[in-house]
Amino acid sequence: MTGHLEAAKTDYRRFRGKLIFVLVMALLVAFPLVRPPLFFLTLLFSVFMYAALTQSWNLLGGYTGYVSLGHIAFFATGAYTTAVCMSRYGLSPFATSILGGVFAGILAIVVGYPVLRLKGAYFTISSLLLAVVMQLVFLNWEFVGSSTGLWYKLMPLSIEANRTIFYETMLILAMVITLIVRYVEQSRFGAGLMAIREDEDVAKTMGINTPWLKMKAFVLGAFLAGVVGGIYGFYMSYVHPDMTFSMNTSLLILLMSFFGGCRTWGGPLLGAVVLSLANQLIVTFIGAEISRILYGLLLVVVIIFMPDGALQYAKGLTRRG
Amino acid sequence: MSYVLESIISGLLLGGIYALLSVGFGLTWGTMKVLNISHAVFAVLGAFFAYWLFVKAGIDPILSLPLLAAVMFFVGAIVYKLVILPVTKAKDIVMASMVATFGAATVVENLMSLFWRPDPRVLKPPYTSRSLFIGDITISKGPLIGFAISLCAIALLYWFLHRTYTGKGVQATWQNPIGAALVGINPERVSLVTFGLSIASAGAAGVAMAMIYAFYPSVHSVWTLFVFLVTIVGGVGSVIGSGLAGLLIGFIIGVSAAFLPFAWVNVLLFALLLIVLLFRPEGLFAG
Amino acid sequence: MLQGVQVSRRFGGLRALTNLDFSVEKGQIVGLIGPNGSGKTTLFNVITGFYPADSGRVIFKGRDITRSKPYEIARLGLARTFQIVRPLMGLTVLDNVTTAVLYGRENIKSMARGRERALEILKFLRLEEKKDVPAVSLVAAEKKRLELARALAINPELLLLDEVFSGLNDREIQDSVKLIFRIRDELGITIFLVEHVMKAVMGTCEKICVIQYGMKLAEGTPEELARNQTVIEAYLGKKRSC
Repeated sequence: MTGHLEAAKTDYRRFRGKLIFVLVMALLVAFPLVRPPLFFLTLLFSVFMYAALTQSWNLLGGYTGYVSLGHIAFFATGAYTTAVCMSRYGLSPFATSILGGVFAGILAIVVGYPVLRLKGAYFTISSLLLAVVMQLVFLNWEFVGSSTGLWYKLMPLSIEANRTIFYETMLILAMVITLIVRYVEQSRFGAGLMAIREDEDVAKTMGINTPWLKMKAFVLGAFLAGVVGGIYGFYMSYVHPDMTFSMNTSLLILLMSFFGGCRTWGGPLLGAVVLSLANQLIVTFIGAEISRILYGLLLVVVIIFMPDGALQYAKGLTRRG
Repeated sequence: MSYVLESIISGLLLGGIYALLSVGFGLTWGTMKVLNISHAVFAVLGAFFAYWLFVKAGIDPILSLPLLAAVMFFVGAIVYKLVILPVTKAKDIVMASMVATFGAATVVENLMSLFWRPDPRVLKPPYTSRSLFIGDITISKGPLIGFAISLCAIALLYWFLHRTYTGKGVQATWQNPIGAALVGINPERVSLVTFGLSIASAGAAGVAMAMIYAFYPSVHSVWTLFVFLVTIVGGVGSVIGSGLAGLLIGFIIGVSAAFLPFAWVNVLLFALLLIVLLFRPEGLFAG
Repeated sequence: MLQGVQVSRRFGGLRALTNLDFSVEKGQIVGLIGPNGSGKTTLFNVITGFYPADSGRVIFKGRDITRSKPYEIARLGLARTFQIVRPLMGLTVLDNVTTAVLYGRENIKSMARGRERALEILKFLRLEEKKDVPAVSLVAAEKKRLELARALAINPELLLLDEVFSGLNDREIQDSVKLIFRIRDELGITIFLVEHVMKAVMGTCEKICVIQYGMKLAEGTPEELARNQTVIEAYLGKKRSC
């Protein structure tokens, strides 16, 4: 009897959850129809982008515990792929974004093979240096525009239409990526990743092929980041090593995941929404450097005091209080 | 031929400077298990301080070094209290220290950007523009002086660690933290001094670097590559190791820079780093 | 089922294991005892692939696993527990065991089926009530049972137990001994255990190997060893850690 009631409650919750999801998505998709000021489309584009990026990072960073400080390298690979394809060959970005993801994935395989064998600290710093070195290489590489960057035309549509197309694209991408990450989390793959995070040696004795799982998470995350970068690159209509390989983006990705709680798919999503909104506002009204300083400080605070996320921390406070 | 030789000599001089740049990083890692990713940003800060002293007050960078070291030590002490000390109480010190110092690096970098603009600068007292001529080979004075500064600073650091009471306390804490605490050495005080020295040495290295290279707030990321490479190759925490590793790396840079474009030298260094990490992470000169 | 032939392993200048021979037949419960530092845990680490043997071979079910990786060895059916228990702290008890099931030898890939099987194993070890509790909040004895559950979850043929009896009181030791027999008799799993607690070893093992300084000192049934002079000498004067 109780079992029946419990089952009904869970079914209702699940239905309610799906309903909320569909409603929110419908609202977001329909939003441009009310012709809001472009500022909002830009703002939300950046929110969706960070949501997508953070999720792609969290596959490895949060689920496996291998914190990469160089995720931006994959994002930038995608951005540069679409940039080059567009400016040199005039190819459409939406297909070339996938190509950007593929290149990012290949980079992840090549770099991941040595780097994922390393212990936590060495992996993290190597990932940071990957991004640094790539930035240096791109600064001196003629083919990608070296220190001048690449500039190319937007689609021959009105600004509104442009922004709307990118808005919708990034929204769909963020949704797809979130669903993928959520699926992984609840799958056998995700269980294996989390075992690696908790105790990698023990995971091996459980029959988990740890190098293979880590590589899968790393490459999948890289591919997704590459696709996101591909869309972004085209959106900005300009790529440049200093801008596209920005360490600050790497920091934000990390911060959003840790702030929201990196153990589940909801955490990075929450962190991305809250912090990218705040970031855009601070950058627009106060200044870029101040925003970065604040975020740097927030990262220090979060990692020391709230390693499981701000939400968990707040819950802990109310429990004690 | 003389071109290659010049390149190698420049490389070696640079390597010596990289050694000073890295030695502090290895020290904090070895004694406190703290990976200070913001180490290089303090080198840039030191460069900026020397720059302002030179440009605004006309004080020669070499003369400003003692003052600079003291100020940077103080800065290090503050950062220690605010960031590092809390980090050492975390569950996973290594991870927490990396992430926290990553944040700290961004904070300091952007503070410098905010107050001093991100344009590249160089520290060029008049005597650095002259060069030394030995036979066919030209050596500019900038790197030479930078190297001399580094040599002195490293020697000073070595002397401190091996010949003074506090310094030996630092070593003792690193080799056997519990034992050291048992004999009455205060681990927090040791850590504070170590970190302060680490930042001070970074600052001095920054001055040396600034005499050769242009510096700007975000260049610390590139310098971090050298820091990490030298530390890993030389063995974490070993001053002599860092020195030797610095020279080795410098030599490699010198040789490759004669044949490869600059950016690819860095790729080579990164590849070298990965190889060392995979096969001899304890360092080539450890022990 | 498991055989070690002249296994040697050194760490720098220290010879941890020297020309060690051992064998465990299917269905047996074999014990490995020796003073502290005699190399017992090192041997386990070599068998399970965490350190390679410098020389000699380890053979499991007829296959040479000397150079195999830990997860390959687990997949062949060799499970182990750790001396200081290492549950996956941040996960619940059920998740701990479910993950093991999902990567174990029963080739269960579905989450739901994995959880079902995990629950069965938890019931066997009387842990099913704590299934949703985070592993970190269990008491020591429960953590030991969780460690065991996780090892059983991969459906092993051979189980390596590293000091499972340490820190238990008499009652708990009795229960654990019964459990060991159940595992062998009901689940058909061969057991190779390392132990300090003499009571437990004498009460469970058909054959005992004694090692000291990484070398085999003696081998035989409990009765034989109790009369063996060399063994008695090796233990006299050593601090017992029961």
